[in-house]
Amino acid sequence: MPQRSGSNLHSRNLEVQSAKPRNTTLQALTSAALVLPGLLITPGHAAGTDRVNFQYSRYQEGERNLYGAPNSLKPISADVLHGSGIFSLTDRTKFSFSYTQDTWSGATQITTSPLVANGNRLYYENTSSGVTVAGASPIINNRILLDRNLNPLRQDPEGGQSLSQDSRSVLVMSYASPETRNQANFGLSREWNEAAFNVGGGFSRERDYKSSYGSLGGRLDFNQKLTTVKLGAGYTDSAVGAILDHDASPYITKNAFSEQIVKRGGSEVLLGDRQDWVANMGLTQVLTKNALVDANIGYTHSNGYLENPYKVMSVIFVDPAALNNNQTTPVIGDMRALLEQRPNIRNQVAINTKYIQYIGAFDAALHLGYRLSVDDWGVNTHTFDASWVQPIASGWTLTPRIRYYSQDAASFYKPYLISQQTYRKIEVDSSGRVIWIDPSNPNEQYFRDSDFNLIDQNGNPVNEDLVNVQPKTSLFDSGKLPDNFSSDYRLAGFGALSGGATLNKMIMKGVALEAGFEYYTHASSMQLGGSGGNSFADFGYYVANAALKLDMEQVNFARPNISNSHQHEDSTKQHHHKIPPAGIMFGHMLDKPGDLMVGYRFMHNWTNGHMMHGGHKVSDQTIVQQGCSDTTPCRFTPDYMNMSMHMLDIMYAPAKWLNVMLMPTFMTMDMNLRELAGRPAPVPGVHEHQGIAGHETGAVGDTYISSLVKLINIPGHRVHMNLGLSAPTGKVDIELRRMAQIDGGLIHFGMQLGSGTWDFTPSLTYAGEKNRWSWGTQLSGVKRMEDKNKSGYRLGDVFQATTWGGYDLTQWLTASVRGAYTLQGAIQRDFDRFNAHIGPMDFPANYGGQFWDIGLGLNARIPGGRFAGNRFGFEWLEPVRSDFNGFQLDRKGALSATWSYLF
Amino acid sequence: MRKSLYAKTKLVLVMCIGLSGCVHVAPWERGNLAKSQMDLDPHPLQSERQSHNYSSREAAPSDKSSSGGGGCGCY
Amino acid sequence: MINKVKLLFFIIPILGLFATASFAEHLDEISSSCALTTLDGKSTHNLQELKGKVVYVDFWASWCPPCVKSFPFLNQLNHDMKEQGLHVIGINLDEKVTDAKEFLAKHPVDFSIAADPSKQCAKVFELMAMPTSYLIDRKGTIRHIHQGFRPGETEELRALITQLVMEHP
Repeated sequence: MPQRSGSNLHSRNLEVQSAKPRNTTLQALTSAALVLPGLLITPGHAAGTDRVNFQYSRYQEGERNLYGAPNSLKPISADVLHGSGIFSLTDRTKFSFSYTQDTWSGATQITTSPLVANGNRLYYENTSSGVTVAGASPIINNRILLDRNLNPLRQDPEGGQSLSQDSRSVLVMSYASPETRNQANFGLSREWNEAAFNVGGGFSRERDYKSSYGSLGGRLDFNQKLTTVKLGAGYTDSAVGAILDHDASPYITKNAFSEQIVKRGGSEVLLGDRQDWVANMGLTQVLTKNALVDANIGYTHSNGYLENPYKVMSVIFVDPAALNNNQTTPVIGDMRALLEQRPNIRNQVAINTKYIQYIGAFDAALHLGYRLSVDDWGVNTHTFDASWVQPIASGWTLTPRIRYYSQDAASFYKPYLISQQTYRKIEVDSSGRVIWIDPSNPNEQYFRDSDFNLIDQNGNPVNEDLVNVQPKTSLFDSGKLPDNFSSDYRLAGFGALSGGATLNKMIMKGVALEAGFEYYTHASSMQLGGSGGNSFADFGYYVANAALKLDMEQVNFARPNISNSHQHEDSTKQHHHKIPPAGIMFGHMLDKPGDLMVGYRFMHNWTNGHMMHGGHKVSDQTIVQQGCSDTTPCRFTPDYMNMSMHMLDIMYAPAKWLNVMLMPTFMTMDMNLRELAGRPAPVPGVHEHQGIAGHETGAVGDTYISSLVKLINIPGHRVHMNLGLSAPTGKVDIELRRMAQIDGGLIHFGMQLGSGTWDFTPSLTYAGEKNRWSWGTQLSGVKRMEDKNKSGYRLGDVFQATTWGGYDLTQWLTASVRGAYTLQGAIQRDFDRFNAHIGPMDFPANYGGQFWDIGLGLNARIPGGRFAGNRFGFEWLEPVRSDFNGFQLDRKGALSATWSYLF
Repeated sequence: MRKSLYAKTKLVLVMCIGLSGCVHVAPWERGNLAKSQMDLDPHPLQSERQSHNYSSREAAPSDKSSSGGGGCGCY
Repeated sequence: MINKVKLLFFIIPILGLFATASFAEHLDEISSSCALTTLDGKSTHNLQELKGKVVYVDFWASWCPPCVKSFPFLNQLNHDMKEQGLHVIGINLDEKVTDAKEFLAKHPVDFSIAADPSKQCAKVFELMAMPTSYLIDRKGTIRHIHQGFRPGETEELRALITQLVMEHP
């Protein structure tokens, strides 16, 4: 999108519609936060064989119907990374854990308003072909016309004369910047012959929402395990700290929540707490050799702040005097935005039933389910779902499924409200005289006499030059509005139909791949018992996911040796040559053809503290003058920037001398900025960073594909070479949201998630070992193979040389020390689309440099017993010296943690 | 309305436990019940994702189908 | 007093739901009705013929995960104590014999495998759970019944068997 230079057009628009400000920045409470993750944990989660799972899921919504306004804001999409595992600590005790991270962004609903109110306001730009529509931004305060029966009227844009009724409503959409949520759960379970007990807990964290939860559960078997009774209870405690959008906040009426809003660093934050209690009871009953039934009843009690702090209710205020003046002309409706209000308590009851039937002819199972839920908000729901689990030859399973859902609207749901009172009224005293006050001293009341001179309460004249008076106004009477109101489409009446399928394939020795897909459509007309009347909120989404499932229980069926019963320990002595420190990639190879190794690697990088230039600290003034470009001084600089990388290592040895590797990655970045001292003053029309919120990005990163070739392999010394590629699956076109009518543009280079180019990643490694000592060295590099990526730039090439030494502290624990030198080139070329250029992180020449680091690490290997074959590694990389190419934030260190398992 | 719902549910549960005496499936006849396609939740990773997505777009309480029961009935 | 009796009338049946069979029977009573066959259906030795040896009878099926887990242990037991007079026999209860055959083809074992197509043996042994193993001493008395199998239980079982093997009639 070419940079808009239509600032003239903008200011003219602004003058004409002075009462209609634009608000474009709104963070919507993440869908996940509303979901209360603690309530989703299934008790007895730790049942079944020991396993480790990795899953990636992508959620993508479709566009909403904006009745002709352009859908310039991208629909919501979310990238979810999930890992979980179950381990037997003893024969009858299992430990389970799971970690989920989701990053989402996109267009979300702030409110619903009548279509005639033009809530998604077009904005324009000057292009070579004239003035064109560049997009739509949300408007939440406006004036509309209504007829005497309070129906919204549409005015013909041409003549302004002919008016027609138009009762349609539309969702008013705003854009939420990428936001990441992290969730971790833990559980412990104990099994007896005919009973089990489990306890679990966890927490979920994101910028504006924190939640912690705990649960207990148990099951009892009767009747030779033909009947099972299950019980469970849970508690969740959550806190909301919502940063109200800087642009929208002035136009939102927040009086009802004024006690919960605090000011922090230039932003307004709405605070709230909530608690949820859940209890449920269930029964599973085997009916025949081929069928069983499962029934469950659950009760949820929620208490506290149950609203969505980013959603407002459109309330149209109509002056009763204008309505009752016996004329037939249209009346003006003053549309305002009030923070939505929901009851403080919610009680929900849900009854779940499931029937499973084995179909012998196909060796398949039919699963049928029905769910009914009722609550005291009036939201009654029905869910019908069916799935068919069909095993197909040689390890494949296909499961198509279909689901129909219907819900009734909450009693307090309305698209918008009309209130017969003015938004603001001028206060008069008992005798009808207008009260005047000086805002700096509001307790003092003044009046005007018949000659319009200012007098005080006692009738004495007052010198108007000494006081600054205006009529006293008060806001509308909130008692005339309903206690609770919300236009959140999630509380409306609607039906939803979804269908999808899951495909499972057993690859080998306990390794399975799973892929799932689902398409979901939400439609007002599909509600059971009649249309919900809100087809404007219809939308659809699709979800696709892929998972790797590892079954860790390996049954050893080898025939007993004549010699000994210590065969198990023997096998683990075979190939456990030492592996390099955790920070080294492509550092070792598998020995036997047919070996498969799966691993997980986590790396976290910290930068904060002082801004540096070359090798020394630098003052703000210097950054302002030299950190950016000759024509553009710097205005902001990074305060901190952290990067996390999750990587899945899959390594397979097709031959003794060759290994192939596939490593998908998932990146998360988060940072914040601060203003530079001595920066030039803000210029209207130029992007600024406001408030206390920082930036986050997170999604799939680049994917590494490698082949490792053994060059030398003699006892005590090994040399191998890696020829690899990095595939540009990580996004490089992430944009900041539009703020105060100004496009945010592409986010800083350092926050993009990948390189955007195909890169060649060769390396050469030498490793040696003798008795308890091990050592090695590696030379590696990254050579970008393209001139530029899809955003116009190319990252610098990298060269790294590193050497390490290790010592076995015990048979299973090795300590290591490492030195590393890295040379990284600056970014070549520049963004080819708008980037706000507010600080040194937006200028290519500042990136790269030479870096010297020292690493201290520990590697552990589990030699025998239940968990034999698992390896763990940790390494801390401490920066010793940095020589930055330009202006960068100081490096503070990096942590690597790895886990791997050889099948 | 809610009270009668509770009462009905209690009745159904009691009937179920009572009826369970009428079911005769021997321990060795549970081969089909033990198959993975007959699990109460054959694809737990998928159901967790789905449950999460549905709860973020619908106002019903999250589906808490507890695990345990059915299956091979092994000790 | 009467109230206590009434209470017992409630408690005992409920306890009965949990009760595992614990009885002491003799091989002579059982083997008359228990006709073992090979997996192919041909009739095979009677359990009576094993008197004088310590017999470890294990009822298993291919679909039962703990049964499958117990096989390496049974195999090892058989190998270690065969000479001392232990006879391990795994009685298969798969409803489809092909399932059992496929399983054994993938995981062959050294101890005797038999089948119980009419499920009479299982009924006569009063089988209540899968898997269940019965330890029979040299005189033919059933000395121990073990329900289920967990890897940590091997030591206890091994000790019991060793003790039985030491006994001589």
